[in-house]
Amino acid sequence: MGNTAAAKKTAIVQAPGIDQATRLKLYRVMYECRVLEQRAYDLFMQNLVKGTSHLALGQEAVAAGFGTAMRSDDYTFCTYRGHNHTYVRGVTMTSILGELMGRECGLLRGKGGSMHLTSVEHGAMGSYAIIGAHLPVAAGAAWSAQYKGTGQVSVCFFGDGTTNIGAFHEALNFAVIWNLPVVFVCENNLYMEYTPIDEVTAVKNPAADRAGAYGLASIVIDGNDADVVYEAACAALDKARRGDGPSLIEAHTYRHGGHSRADPGKYRPDEELQAWLARDPIPMYRKRLIDLDVSEAEIEAIESETDAVIDQATEEARNSPPPPVDIAHIDVWADGSATWRN
Amino acid sequence: MAQLTYREAVRDGIAQEMRRDEDVVFLGEDVAAAGGVFKTTVGLLEEFGPDRVRDTPISEQAIIGAAMGASMTGLRPIAEIMFSDFFAVCWDLVANQIAKTRYMTDGQCSFPLVLRSANGGGSRFGAQHSQSVENWAMAIPGLKVVAPSTPADVKGLLAASVRDPDPVMFFEQKSLYAVKGDVPDGEHVEPLGVARVVRDGDDVTIAALAAMVPRALKAADTLADEHGISAEVIDIRSLVPLDTQTLFDSVSRTGRLVTVEENPRLCGWGAELSSIVAEELFWDLEGPIMRVTTPHIPLPSADALEDAVLPSAERIVDNVIRLVD
Amino acid sequence: MNVLMPQLGETVAEGTVAAWHKKQGDAVEKNEVLLDVETDKAATEVPAPVAGVIASVLVPEGKTVDVGTVLAVIETDSAEESEAAAETSEEEGAAKSTPRSGGKRASPAGRSERQTAKAVKMAKAKGRGGKSGRLRLSPVVRRLLAEHGVDAQEIAGTGRDGRITRKDVLGFVEQRAAAESKPAAPEPAAPEPESRPAPAVSQAQPPAGAPGESTRVPFDRIRRVTAEHMVHSKSTSAHVMQAVEVDFSGVDRVRLPKRQDWRSKQGYSLTYLPFIARATCLALRDYPNINSSVDGDALVLHPAVHLCIAVNLNFEGLVAPVIRNADSLTVAGLAHAIHDIGDRARKGKLDPDEYSGGTYTLSNNGSYGTLMTGAIINQPQVAILSVDAISKRPVVVESPTGDAIAIRPVGILAQSFDHRALDGAYSAAFLQKVRALLERKDWSDEV
Repeated sequence: MGNTAAAKKTAIVQAPGIDQATRLKLYRVMYECRVLEQRAYDLFMQNLVKGTSHLALGQEAVAAGFGTAMRSDDYTFCTYRGHNHTYVRGVTMTSILGELMGRECGLLRGKGGSMHLTSVEHGAMGSYAIIGAHLPVAAGAAWSAQYKGTGQVSVCFFGDGTTNIGAFHEALNFAVIWNLPVVFVCENNLYMEYTPIDEVTAVKNPAADRAGAYGLASIVIDGNDADVVYEAACAALDKARRGDGPSLIEAHTYRHGGHSRADPGKYRPDEELQAWLARDPIPMYRKRLIDLDVSEAEIEAIESETDAVIDQATEEARNSPPPPVDIAHIDVWADGSATWRN
Repeated sequence: MAQLTYREAVRDGIAQEMRRDEDVVFLGEDVAAAGGVFKTTVGLLEEFGPDRVRDTPISEQAIIGAAMGASMTGLRPIAEIMFSDFFAVCWDLVANQIAKTRYMTDGQCSFPLVLRSANGGGSRFGAQHSQSVENWAMAIPGLKVVAPSTPADVKGLLAASVRDPDPVMFFEQKSLYAVKGDVPDGEHVEPLGVARVVRDGDDVTIAALAAMVPRALKAADTLADEHGISAEVIDIRSLVPLDTQTLFDSVSRTGRLVTVEENPRLCGWGAELSSIVAEELFWDLEGPIMRVTTPHIPLPSADALEDAVLPSAERIVDNVIRLVD
Repeated sequence: MNVLMPQLGETVAEGTVAAWHKKQGDAVEKNEVLLDVETDKAATEVPAPVAGVIASVLVPEGKTVDVGTVLAVIETDSAEESEAAAETSEEEGAAKSTPRSGGKRASPAGRSERQTAKAVKMAKAKGRGGKSGRLRLSPVVRRLLAEHGVDAQEIAGTGRDGRITRKDVLGFVEQRAAAESKPAAPEPAAPEPESRPAPAVSQAQPPAGAPGESTRVPFDRIRRVTAEHMVHSKSTSAHVMQAVEVDFSGVDRVRLPKRQDWRSKQGYSLTYLPFIARATCLALRDYPNINSSVDGDALVLHPAVHLCIAVNLNFEGLVAPVIRNADSLTVAGLAHAIHDIGDRARKGKLDPDEYSGGTYTLSNNGSYGTLMTGAIINQPQVAILSVDAISKRPVVVESPTGDAIAIRPVGILAQSFDHRALDGAYSAAFLQKVRALLERKDWSDEV
């Protein structure tokens, strides 16, 4: 990742069109994602979040860049590492924390959990916990938009590990031959779970180096730079909306923690971790805002507002009761029932 | 009343629904220009055009994933998986994604889609193109499972499956494609979850599905003519939702149940029916419940071998005699 | 074979031996009257279940014992049966030394198992067992034997290896019923809609399990549905019971002179029930809140009375079919409707929609001589009226010339109502109205 600093500099130069309001929004959304994930981690430590959870601390720029660029009726499909991608579509912190804690106020009233955050009304069409499954599903939603001529775009986020599973390849080929309005976004955080991705992949850039096989441009971006992500997102979304078909974007980034709750991430070399922590997207972007003459007070206002929101959301979620047990027996079918016989 | 083949009824069922509802779209391998490898979809491309009738690559995960994504965003797709054995390569999409997502999202989305497939043996295709896998689907909460035995039911149940707000696995028995039968003229829809008594009888109830229904009927003829045994035959038609009441009404009269299924022995759907009847109708039973199944083996290819292992009318007769005697 | 204290009605747990017609050492024919048994109001003759000799009389006259208690042992005379009798004698000893507690019903299956045990011996004796030498009884045969109180050894099996089939049991029961049809029992003191054959004693006879053993009998479908409905109702409605005592001499002034003619023309008896149904419908007009159902936090008043009549399906379950617009019928019309719907219910010929939409229910337990029954409300209705035995009792009659004691037909009408929907005074006023109508209305126009 020796070229990331250069990429960052280039991005600033190449992004003169990003206005200040958008930049403030990008910062706010990244900051919100950060405190949300941090709070989720804190609640684990208090044993208030059960089960597993996959945090995206350090990867906020990808979620914020796309979330800010997307139209409100576009579709998001993401993975079990999906708290941020769901949040940026407009879902409340209370409902996300409530779902993690298995409370009635949870987004799915405790029926999905951390790995399945979904809010159809916000276009967050689901977090999918089986690697690769949601790429063809995102293509299907794009087909629906294409068939109906709505101009909606389907955006599908996945990790580097996904590039070695069959569904990735089936979905890319399928989306290209049907010219579907879908954007595939590989968040390459260098590790599939515990194993470095380059040890188990035939090419250096696991997604971008395969793009050519499907007639797509090879796009690698600095996934820690919100401006770069935002610009790349705008370009791919426009292309899809114009009817020019799918894109595949590989965003290089880094998760600050382990793969999941069970993983302290000790397999990572310390110098690598330190280098990426130094490129933490949030302090990096904060400095850029200061450089662009945004006042410290304005930034602090965003931060303190967000800190208040997360505290309130935490309280609300903690005070919410567990869901009523009878909801375990509903909504298998569209009529709301779980009845399979007369 | 028109005489149609089971094969033609597939096409008529799809066409009826595509004419009725523009949101109905159809995709699969070789289904459009070629009209399907079993020629079940001939003429659909010509009538409905390439936006609605689409050929896909050999990518079962993409086919089912696309159907899922389209169904959760407003379309009512029909997807064809050429042979039901191939569900094994895309089972994640069926079993983990389509079946579970409505429940996991607290009912936020529905999946009004139909997964059609050619199912079952009798066509000498060998073990990887002949299995009856309806019991796989039946084991997954969130999937409806339908398997018609007649051309009229193909059309009517397929129409109901397309209209159903939930995912339906629609198993066409490939050895029945050439069978002819009367199909009602005009719009034809048969409700899901209703079994049909196809022959009345007093001494024993034979519950069968798809290609096993005509075999059960043949067995019932033999039982009546040669053994004086009156067998009632029930076409289960839909495993999920399951019409237990029709079954109970029959078994509570006859006191005996024989299930006939193409599944290999272990965990076939007949086991579930047997369990339900044993639990709820035990005190009406006059003898053990018997299952006639394929043995617990992969299906062989040669006709002599395949015919020897699939449940036959003779084997049904033998089992019934053992039970009723 | 043991002769057991029968259960004379669902609510009855014990009975009194009124008189023995046979003594130890006497020979008896099958179905010959053995003894008289009394409960609160009903008296019944108990016939001998098999032919044989009275080996022992275990309960003396005048003694009250729990339902299911062994009253006597009959020794049968065939070779196989003496073996069975030997077995019952052992049981008898056990029954004597271990009194049954609480009068709980032993389960049919317990009986079936004993019967199976006997059947095993029988099978050995006759050499007609299956491969294992055991005579096996299918579940349905076990159930039918238990329900009809039939001993497996009484039936000749026509199945493979002499196995008893369902048809064998049903055929046997039919034949037995034909053989048992006796001179008409005394007119029941209760408003039964039609004269019914006295329940076969063996039917009401609870099978005794081996002492000290409990047996688990799974509910059949009707039992399970009934259980669910009853628990649901009890947990939904705040049940309160109120009762009034009614003098039916006003009704009898019309009913008794017409009774003979009615029976010969209509083919069934003119009982008290249609009069009570008519009075109920008329009273509901004045007390509309009782002809209603609870929906959330609202009372839904129904414009017409759709009257449910609880019908006992020969101890195989309870149903409550509906007479629609019952308030538009006279006593004669109601008598026809009650007879028709009960008849068809027992034959299983009612349409499913004839079970739904009722607004008030009458439950009639009178044929078993019960005094009063606290019925469970038929949801979503808000009240149910139980009709029990109507019998002659001494009543103080007031007149201008002074008080006198008269003999009058009297019965208790008991209403269970949902205290969520109404209060006690309203229910009481309604019952008072029903009583006033039955005692004072001129019924001559109605029949």
